[in-house]
Amino acid sequence: MSVPTPVVPADVSPVSPPQPAPVASSSSSSSWPLGSVFNRFAAWRKSLDLPNPGTVENLTKESKQTLLNNYAFDGARADLSKSLSMNPMFQVTHSFHLGSQTVPPTYHFGAMFANDKLFMHGNVDHDGNLSARFNQGWSATNVSKVQAQLSTQPGQSYVQMEHDFQGSDYSLNAKAVNLSPADLTGIYMGSYLQSVTKNLAVGVETILQRQAPGLSDLGLAYLAKYTGSDRKWIATAQVQAPGILQASYWQKLSEKVDVAAELQVMAAPGRRDALATLAARYELRMASFRAQLDSTGKVSAYLEHRIAPTFAFLMSGEIDHFKNAAKVGVGVMIESSSLTPEEMGMVPPPGVPVAPMPQP
Amino acid sequence: MPSEETKERIIKAVDLARVVAHYAWIPFIIYVGYTRSNPQPSLIKLISPLA
Repeated sequence: MSVPTPVVPADVSPVSPPQPAPVASSSSSSSWPLGSVFNRFAAWRKSLDLPNPGTVENLTKESKQTLLNNYAFDGARADLSKSLSMNPMFQVTHSFHLGSQTVPPTYHFGAMFANDKLFMHGNVDHDGNLSARFNQGWSATNVSKVQAQLSTQPGQSYVQMEHDFQGSDYSLNAKAVNLSPADLTGIYMGSYLQSVTKNLAVGVETILQRQAPGLSDLGLAYLAKYTGSDRKWIATAQVQAPGILQASYWQKLSEKVDVAAELQVMAAPGRRDALATLAARYELRMASFRAQLDSTGKVSAYLEHRIAPTFAFLMSGEIDHFKNAAKVGVGVMIESSSLTPEEMGMVPPPGVPVAPMPQP
Repeated sequence: MPSEETKERIIKAVDLARVVAHYAWIPFIIYVGYTRSNPQPSLIKLISPLA
């Protein structure tokens, strides 16, 4: 987590112009008999007052934020981020990572710019591999995204173009990965998620792989999401064609404690595999702590302690009981800023003395 | 269906665009951020990890 990404899609669309209701007047629809049927259907659908189910991408967002798979690291790391402006948001980061058992030492430089409609992020490592993201919000419910991984080695790059549309009670998403305009090869994905009751949303995702003209492969996945009435718990399930099932459950136990469970089952002929993960997250005033246990015998924990508003200390550990291996990681996150707290729009929490910035 | 020659040209254009994006993306973000920032930061603060 080199860059805090709360702004990614949520911040792209804070200005929400009221959505024009697509209901035509009854006088114009009488000339077209199907129009009145459509209008009655639209009115009936509106009367159900179903909530938007959220995007397919964020289907398991809550449980992913509780699990520590995306946070764990080993070795030593330092993230120096510098906010140069708050509105529009402009930030540069330098991250160093060394001493890891699995990856060689790396240095990453990142730059991020975001305002109400636009989000641009670039991250380049010392080998010159670039990962880029670009989001453009056309309105509160329409967002186009481009994601790219451009490598100095040929064949490692990919470009993904995506458009998100969120209706009143449904979400649509279309994606194209590595689209080649010459012969239209690439991977195409389309997904549709629809609320059927106030709690339940069901959806379908299609994946069309077109490696060469005339050679294509279509895959289907079914999705379901059930949200508790008080939004304190969420259960999701995804089923994919060759026998892949992913299920997740997330619950907010109290203001400070979340728990999540995830199950992945692969029952394809010739390969049977399953993985269950259980995790808890404690969100305390100055720290957040995550603990996780999975069915491959791994126990892991992750602590992020914010010692000062601009300084955080990270600790990550994992013990694999079956393989008898362990990983430990220590890190620091330093945020330096040329702005005063008032300029950043940050109000120090009461009772926490803010150390004055050393001025040269 | 486009002809082979057009296809060649499209592939070349896409490759060129990819190279341009690869080298220009980060400088572009820094340029946009630097010119739109409020207040405008100094250049040395932008690049150096220590300043």
